[in-house]
Amino acid sequence: MQRETWINLAILLGLILVPLWAVVMDEPFTITLTTKVVILALAGVGLNIALGYGGLVSFGHAAFFGVGGYAMGVLASHAQSYTPMQIGALEVEGTKSMLIIWAVAIVFSGITALFIGALSLRTSGVYFIMITLAFGQMLYYFAISWPAYGGEDGLSIYVRNGFPGLNTLDPIQFYCICFVLLCAALLVSARLSSSSFGLALHGARQNAERLEAVGVRPFKLRLTAFVISGMITGLAGALFADLNRFVSPTMFSWHTSGEIMIFVILGGVGRLFGPVVGAALFILLEHWLGGISDFWQFYLGLILLAVVLFARGGVIGTLAGREVAHD
Amino acid sequence: MTDTVLSVTNLSKFFGALKASDNVNIDLHAGEIHALIGPNGAGKSTLIKQIAGGMRPDKGEVILNGQDISALDTAARARLGLARSFQVSSVAAEFTVLQNVVLAVQGHQNLGMWRAALRKTAFSDQALGFIARAGLAGREAIRASDLSHGERRRLELAMALALRPKVFLLDEPMAGVGLEGSADMTALLDDLRHEAPILLVEHDMDAVFSLADRISVLVYGRIIATGAVDDIRNDLEVQRAYLGDDA
Ligand SMILES: Nc1ncnc2c1ncn2[C@@H]1O[C@H](COP(=O)(O)OP(=O)(O)O)[C@@H](O)[C@H]1O
Ligand SMILES: [Mg+2]
Repeated sequence: MQRETWINLAILLGLILVPLWAVVMDEPFTITLTTKVVILALAGVGLNIALGYGGLVSFGHAAFFGVGGYAMGVLASHAQSYTPMQIGALEVEGTKSMLIIWAVAIVFSGITALFIGALSLRTSGVYFIMITLAFGQMLYYFAISWPAYGGEDGLSIYVRNGFPGLNTLDPIQFYCICFVLLCAALLVSARLSSSSFGLALHGARQNAERLEAVGVRPFKLRLTAFVISGMITGLAGALFADLNRFVSPTMFSWHTSGEIMIFVILGGVGRLFGPVVGAALFILLEHWLGGISDFWQFYLGLILLAVVLFARGGVIGTLAGREVAHD
Repeated sequence: MTDTVLSVTNLSKFFGALKASDNVNIDLHAGEIHALIGPNGAGKSTLIKQIAGGMRPDKGEVILNGQDISALDTAARARLGLARSFQVSSVAAEFTVLQNVVLAVQGHQNLGMWRAALRKTAFSDQALGFIARAGLAGREAIRASDLSHGERRRLELAMALALRPKVFLLDEPMAGVGLEGSADMTALLDDLRHEAPILLVEHDMDAVFSLADRISVLVYGRIIATGAVDDIRNDLEVQRAYLGDDA
């Protein structure tokens, strides 16, 4: 097996052992922290498909994270207040079912990604970065000025949503749900990357001219990747909202987009487990540096700068060397 | 009458006052190698780009097997069998030789999202065949960026083969492959002509004279002569305009 595969397995093992240890030692806070890592990693796995595989530097993935979050918030708030939603003449009940909420989050973030992607993928480089950023901010300001769902203050959901057969209020059980979803997303990401579609997508990133010369138009490939990417990040948004039992416009802000991008860059752009390592490192640093200094973000910035300058390929790239061709 | 596979009619492209293509007419017959020669800056690459679809002509048509393809984009032309190599090798640098050729084999079809591309034996087997034919057997697992200059040229030809081409458009395939490499490359091009006719832009006159069936001479965007190899070799005007520069 390749070195990177071993590293990936070690990371997975860590994500199993840490919460297990926390259960034994009765440290619920550690479980919550690990849950946060796993959910943010999921958001990063989504972005990695666009950014890492497709070379699409999206600075607006908070849009999908937020849409996922608000899908949860809106549905659950109607359910907890027993008031149906009014969509035109249609009355739609809210829900506290995670499965339905995930489906809605995935569909809506997919539609949002289709719309944003169809417009922004006609540009490239800095323009693409700016346009995706602008779309994210548009949704941010929209959420702020949407009083029905809390506006600037956001929405609180009193009880975590339900999953058949599980007690989602038990931290370790909620963790398990998130962990399984992360594994599923990693599987999808891995298969996608080595598939024919993935080969063409990676090819388009490296040399779009060459791709056209073999008869493939990059636009459709990139748009498809962007939508899949948005859907995964949207699912992460719904879980994140469930973890906090709270949604607010912050989920849409460019800080959030930036953080998701940092996970990917820190861990290794285009590396399967890059976002997982990145998210874990980010949360650890936030936790530790935050305890040491109020200016932890400054130090985080320095670390990020060091990674970008000296550890191209991020943590995974540094540990595993340059990417080996997948079979 | 010979079968005309590709014809370019009255094609013009101006860059401001510069006439890169000036009412160009050129065609390619089944089974032939038609060499396009001319001094640097004559407009050879520009012409290839317009035929392949990367650049729009100001006027004129490109006809492939009787079909006017002037309005089609590069990808659509590639799907119809226009296979090109670039003057500066253009491959996916992070991919291995095999990945590059599989990319061409799968083309726009079957872009499935689940099964590993290289595990599809139909794809890999075909790709290995093209790689061997281009003289890269044993180099399948090497990254394109680690290939020598000449090998990268061969990789481009393997990818062109993988498109099941109707026409090869080759822009200086021998540039920079060295003396020994150019003999090998000449043999390879001689093999490729059995697959599809070749429009060959080339500076290496020995190769051109040994390979070509016909030669066209492009100077300042205009075709000043087209004819059989011996006619062109003896054409005084050509010697003045072109060969004289080198000799
Ligand atoms: N995109 C472009 N814009 C402006 N001038 C160009 C462009 N592409 C090529 N040219 C000019 O057109 C002429 C023909 O170039 P080219 O086709 O590359 O010549 P050749 O391949 O015969 O050496 C050159 O003078 C070149 O500078
Ligand atoms: Mg040229």
